[in-house]
Amino acid sequence: MEYLEQITAIFSDFINPKKRVFVGYLVLSVLIALVFLVAMRKSSTRGAFGAIFDRKILFSRSSIADYKIFVINQVITMLVSPLLLTQIAIATAVFFFLHRFEFVTSGQFEQANAAVVVGLFSVTLFVVDDLSKYMLHRWMHRFPILWSIHKVHHSATTMTPITVYRVHPLEAVLYASRGTLAQGPVVAVFLFLFGSTVSLATVVGVNVLVFAFHVTGSNLRHSHIQIGYWRWLERLLISPAQHQIHHSVAEQHHDRNFGAALAIWDWMFGTLHLSEKQELQFGLGGKQGAESDLKVLYLQPFLDITRIARRIVTRPFQRLRSDV
Amino acid sequence: MPRTSLKLTTALVASTFFASATNAAETYGPFPVTVKGYEGNKTNSVSYSGQIARHVLHDSLKKLASKGDGGGNAVEIEAALLLYFNGAEGDLDILAPTSKGDFTIKQNTLNEISEGKNISGKFYDGAMPAWPGDLTGREVLAHMIKHASQSEGGYDAANGYDWGQLISKFTMGAMAYNQAVDNYLDEKLEADTKPNGKPYKDGAAYTGKEHVWDEAFGYFGAAAHSLSLSAEDNYNIAKMKDLTVADANGDGVVDLKTEYVFGPAYYAAGADKTGKTTYMIDIMTAFIEGRKLITSAQGESLTDEQRAQLKSYAATIEENWEKVLAEAAFKYAGSVYKDITKIGEAADDETRAKAYRAYVKHWGELKGFAMALQSGKNNLGRTAVHLNRLIGYGPVTLDETIVSGIDADGNFVRDRKLSWSSYQLNMLRVQEQLLNAFGIEARANDATAELAGLVESLNTDGGAETD
Repeated sequence: MEYLEQITAIFSDFINPKKRVFVGYLVLSVLIALVFLVAMRKSSTRGAFGAIFDRKILFSRSSIADYKIFVINQVITMLVSPLLLTQIAIATAVFFFLHRFEFVTSGQFEQANAAVVVGLFSVTLFVVDDLSKYMLHRWMHRFPILWSIHKVHHSATTMTPITVYRVHPLEAVLYASRGTLAQGPVVAVFLFLFGSTVSLATVVGVNVLVFAFHVTGSNLRHSHIQIGYWRWLERLLISPAQHQIHHSVAEQHHDRNFGAALAIWDWMFGTLHLSEKQELQFGLGGKQGAESDLKVLYLQPFLDITRIARRIVTRPFQRLRSDV
Repeated sequence: MPRTSLKLTTALVASTFFASATNAAETYGPFPVTVKGYEGNKTNSVSYSGQIARHVLHDSLKKLASKGDGGGNAVEIEAALLLYFNGAEGDLDILAPTSKGDFTIKQNTLNEISEGKNISGKFYDGAMPAWPGDLTGREVLAHMIKHASQSEGGYDAANGYDWGQLISKFTMGAMAYNQAVDNYLDEKLEADTKPNGKPYKDGAAYTGKEHVWDEAFGYFGAAAHSLSLSAEDNYNIAKMKDLTVADANGDGVVDLKTEYVFGPAYYAAGADKTGKTTYMIDIMTAFIEGRKLITSAQGESLTDEQRAQLKSYAATIEENWEKVLAEAAFKYAGSVYKDITKIGEAADDETRAKAYRAYVKHWGELKGFAMALQSGKNNLGRTAVHLNRLIGYGPVTLDETIVSGIDADGNFVRDRKLSWSSYQLNMLRVQEQLLNAFGIEARANDATAELAGLVESLNTDGGAETD
């Protein structure tokens, strides 16, 4: 019985509307891909099905590694997540801290229009969360230590919605902490200002904006279905094709399109790359086979971190020696 | 026919037997007389009317504290308050609780309950640093009485005091809680103090230990049948809302000696009403089991083993009682927090004055309970220091000043400034302190509960979802 429960827990993300791989979102993504291929790419329905469920992609070595990583990471997450700093701790600390200001008082705007407050809260939470994702993602590419961790995700040579789980456990910890640090203060500030008027606008228990992101095909970002938006829209929202560019091995695509849902951050900070119809090759472009060797995927980051750390520590001494 | 009626009788007898058996298990008393050599005609050894009289003195004192007219009748009111605090030569009217609607109280005067009782003789008289002026517990109450008698309706808007609340909640700790946990359930459980092998006093129908235990129970203030009632019912008895649940013997009146629920028990029921705690059940069960244990000794001195068992019941009582006081302080810290928001939001002077009045009342309860917690057996150490510092000698008043001490004449000095926001933060910290120090669970008016609820409702889209 206990085993059965644990197995159910591992796959529970598929029936949880808070998760991207919720079966409803997956079905919708397939429908979007079908409509796109038939209507825009003039494919036959049969041909479109074949393209979406391409066995060469679904059962590639890279994808099979994704599936294994999914299971392993779910188990690790179950063990690690209770140890992480909780959102409630951050929110409480910030809530306490806000009482130190003289110009604003607790519940000062409690009488504000409830619909406005709920809307403002839901939008703020979404935007702040999205910005924090952009920032962390950019750092993951910029700093060698972080890149050695994030490389695991980029090693995928074929992409399916499950590739979203292809991350090193250390990255999972970083992302979870990011969520806590970004959302906790927002919750505290809103509750402080608006008191009990604050609540989240939700659909099936999910922030309505996150829900919108998922029902419009967030799963296609990690796929080979190249859906691009109009050029103006790609400056506001990251299209699946834009995220696929982020995964491309081509040099001109490196360090582009870090955004999660919103493209405005990439646009503002000069990292935006609009989509174009082209063949893309995913991965790191390195040695063949490395993308599916679990031992390498899980251990290499630790080896890399050790190497980088040693270099950082010894560098000043080397300089001293050369000075002499 | 005869067979049927025989069956019916058997069923009736059986059901009465079982009913009384369960009843006996659920009520505090009656318990048989076990004391050796007793010559009187009493069949019940339970007696705690002296404690009930003190609860009534306390309730009356609270009522009287709001009778001042702003100075004109100060002398009479102070004298009257002192009469109920120190006790009187003759009899005293019961000022509270008195009959309300169909909730008829059996007794009208103190002597109908017990003669010659007072509060002051059973009042915590150790250090009470929570109050300004380096006073002992008893001196603090005298100081409060003096100011209550000079106030208008027990309310001092300038300094932020509600005398009825302060006097009442402090007394609930300094008298009832202190006497029970620091006296009767403490040194009086020792082998050589009030032994079970002897009557409590010559000619008494109860042994030393029986009476010691009964007195502790009396201070808790529950009805004898409280264990058979829901938290809601116990609460409603103290609120005088439900005669039927109070009137255990069905004589149409409420006997204060056995059927009423007084302060400490009322607050236990109040916390239990949240459904998160079982203070009343835990405390009542420990009292009843302890009393059964003493009764089972049949008037012989208790063995060390029996006394160890009794002490473990006492520990349960003490632990839960302390939590009840902490829960109450927690709840009122939350009220004060909310009241400050309401004062800030008030659109006109009248609304503000009303919000401020509620704030002063709740602060009085918070302060009183915080002082009650410091009147028990445990030295709260740092927790007490922190609570006193955070709560202060008084609340932030309308001009954002706060009582900083008393002058040589005992008048309050307010030369410290504190903002409303800072004081709200203090309330959050008070709740945090109480939570950490006492591990309370009911947590009514938790000022950060909404925060937890909101965080819960968030989409935790997980660390694994990376792009």
